[in-house]
Amino acid sequence: MRKIISGNEALAIGAYRASASFASGYPGTPSSEILEYAKTFEDIQVQWASNEKSAFEQALGASIAGRRSFVTMKHVGLNVAADSLMGSSYTGVNAGFVVVVADDPGMHSSQNEQDTRLFAKFAQVPILEPSDAKEAMGFMQYAFALSEEYDTPVIVRSTTRVSHTQEVVYFDMHKLGGYENKLLAKNISKYVLVPKNAIARHKKLLERNAKLQKLSNETPLNRLEQGSLNIGIITSGVSYLYAKELLPNANYLKIGLSWPFPTEVAREFVKSLDKVIVIEELEPYIEEQLKASGIYVEGKKFFPQDGEFNLDIVEEGLIKASFLEKNQKKYFEVPDLPARPPVLCPGCPHRPIFDILHSLRVYVTGDIGCYTLAAAAPLSSIHTTVCMGASISMGYGIAKASLNHKIVSVIGDSTFLHTGLQPLIDAYVNNVAYTVIILDNSITAMTGGQPDAVSGFNIKNEPTPKVDLENLVRSIGIKRVFKVDQYDYKATKEIIEQEVNTKELSVIIATRPCVLAPKKIKDTPYIVIADKCIDCKRCLRVGCPAIGYKDNKAYIIEDSCTGCALCANVCPTSAIVKGDTNE
Amino acid sequence: MNKSIIFCGVGGDGIITASNICANALLRANFDVKKSEVHGMSQRGGSVNAFLVYGKKVYSLLPSKGNVSYMFASEKLEALRNVDYLSETSIVLINDRVVPIVGASIDEHEIDNHLKSFPFEKKIINFSEVAKLHNIIVKFCYFTKVYNLFLKRKTF
Repeated sequence: MRKIISGNEALAIGAYRASASFASGYPGTPSSEILEYAKTFEDIQVQWASNEKSAFEQALGASIAGRRSFVTMKHVGLNVAADSLMGSSYTGVNAGFVVVVADDPGMHSSQNEQDTRLFAKFAQVPILEPSDAKEAMGFMQYAFALSEEYDTPVIVRSTTRVSHTQEVVYFDMHKLGGYENKLLAKNISKYVLVPKNAIARHKKLLERNAKLQKLSNETPLNRLEQGSLNIGIITSGVSYLYAKELLPNANYLKIGLSWPFPTEVAREFVKSLDKVIVIEELEPYIEEQLKASGIYVEGKKFFPQDGEFNLDIVEEGLIKASFLEKNQKKYFEVPDLPARPPVLCPGCPHRPIFDILHSLRVYVTGDIGCYTLAAAAPLSSIHTTVCMGASISMGYGIAKASLNHKIVSVIGDSTFLHTGLQPLIDAYVNNVAYTVIILDNSITAMTGGQPDAVSGFNIKNEPTPKVDLENLVRSIGIKRVFKVDQYDYKATKEIIEQEVNTKELSVIIATRPCVLAPKKIKDTPYIVIADKCIDCKRCLRVGCPAIGYKDNKAYIIEDSCTGCALCANVCPTSAIVKGDTNE
Repeated sequence: MNKSIIFCGVGGDGIITASNICANALLRANFDVKKSEVHGMSQRGGSVNAFLVYGKKVYSLLPSKGNVSYMFASEKLEALRNVDYLSETSIVLINDRVVPIVGASIDEHEIDNHLKSFPFEKKIINFSEVAKLHNIIVKFCYFTKVYNLFLKRKTF
């Protein structure tokens, strides 16, 4: 079949073709769609976990039970699952076990741009780097066999452009060979990492590394491409595609298996050529591997270490390296335009909370989710965001260290269940007085609306039991627990104000569902009665994209307004009314 | 020589959907096609663009600046934001619409003048009106079950 598919879809198809039958993960851009595609295969048991560590270990368990399994996450997710990765590198696997990690160079939707290749080296597990959807499918398929043959987890590293680029791929939907599931492995000396066993496993791991090193120098994944020019390029991932487009006639060493690095192949490659450079996104990983082996080639001298590559950046680097001649490229200059950053949706239930927090002038520790957008003007009401789950723990630290300030921690339901619960327990047992607001929209919204443990349904849309957040929080022992509906602006404001001024730990659960998922919510739009508008701009300060401003008056964009009434609630002259009101 | 199309607009406009339809049309016309886009934050009303490169054999998933053959913009400001990808020979379709930006004032007149100043061929059409009319037709089809006939044929 000839079809246009994305890298993420290709990864799911590759897993299916390799007879994988278990998958778990935690949503995170750009990795989220892999499981969304995988769930369409009946033979794969697919689930979302509470966090990446839980997902990783579920899949590792399935591997030990004899089924080929994989886990998906974004780059920062691997930080959360790092403990599991390190341990599983020692235990090895039973059936093939693949860890799919999608990096986000350029930080399209991330808090940093770490390079997962360094993690592979650290954990000493092989890592495969596909350049496009076609390779993503093939590499994913191969990863399971590699994992079994060498008794190791295997990382498949994608990047935003690999995951989200769609291209034409020829493939069929058949499983390869007749893979038989294995039996549940019972092997205490292999799977119980007490020091005695781990000492022996570490030696095994080093033996495995030597074998993998040999493989890396022989595998066709590390491919030589001859060109007519006497120059060479060592590259991997999407960088290969940009380079190939610009310099089709150079010699290429395209790295597909990046750790262990094919040092001997590179040594031979460099020998016969006049000049060789390295083109790689993010960290100088390949460059360092080469230099450590005494192969002196430059890379980061010509290409940036931060941000995402594109054709223009790679071209500029090739010119700097004298691989291309400088050309006088002409293109139109973009006029000075205001940026259009992403904002909270019209009707977003987070907006009233941040409008209230802004007006109370409290210090807010934030977390990862849509609500991080409230750090931007005009709401400007989040003061820290570091990583998943950090809001409650950092609020704890600030509240304890700075007694004179009013501290509020905000966290979404999915993030709370990811890594926010333990810090709340710490805050309770240590008597730290501050306010925690759980923004319970009952979905993982930012990544596209995946269900979590409070949604009441799973990835396949089947009903499931759900966690009751209020009971969960009360069961810790916390006394001051409140539920609010953000669309009831006045009541919500009263409770938040009251709790911020109480010298005790309190938890406020804000219960309005997301306006986008699982179903789109749209009520009668509001309108501005122009005669009553006094041009105070209060409604503009809630930062709603459905409110515009023209001729010294606010106006509401009918198509965008969902009728949440926040602007009507804050308007001092009641100039904003429901559209169907007869006035 | 490969050609390319840039689709640009505001999150929620259907830029990704438009580029999907186009990519599949090019696939059926036997081209090699690569389409690149970014999901995530951009779905929350931010600037969105998608690139489509097609030809006999395509390596790079992104076109280079000053080299894009066609542009489809669902908003005028976003069209301007991406002019660096265009050349004098580009053909540009722009929806006659400006979407306000939270906390910024936009002079629509100035935007129009800017757009006029570029030498490429451009058509500014009120697609939103066309779409609304279209929507009525689609809704009519839906309620009269005519829509089901289309659904039977799955393209994606």
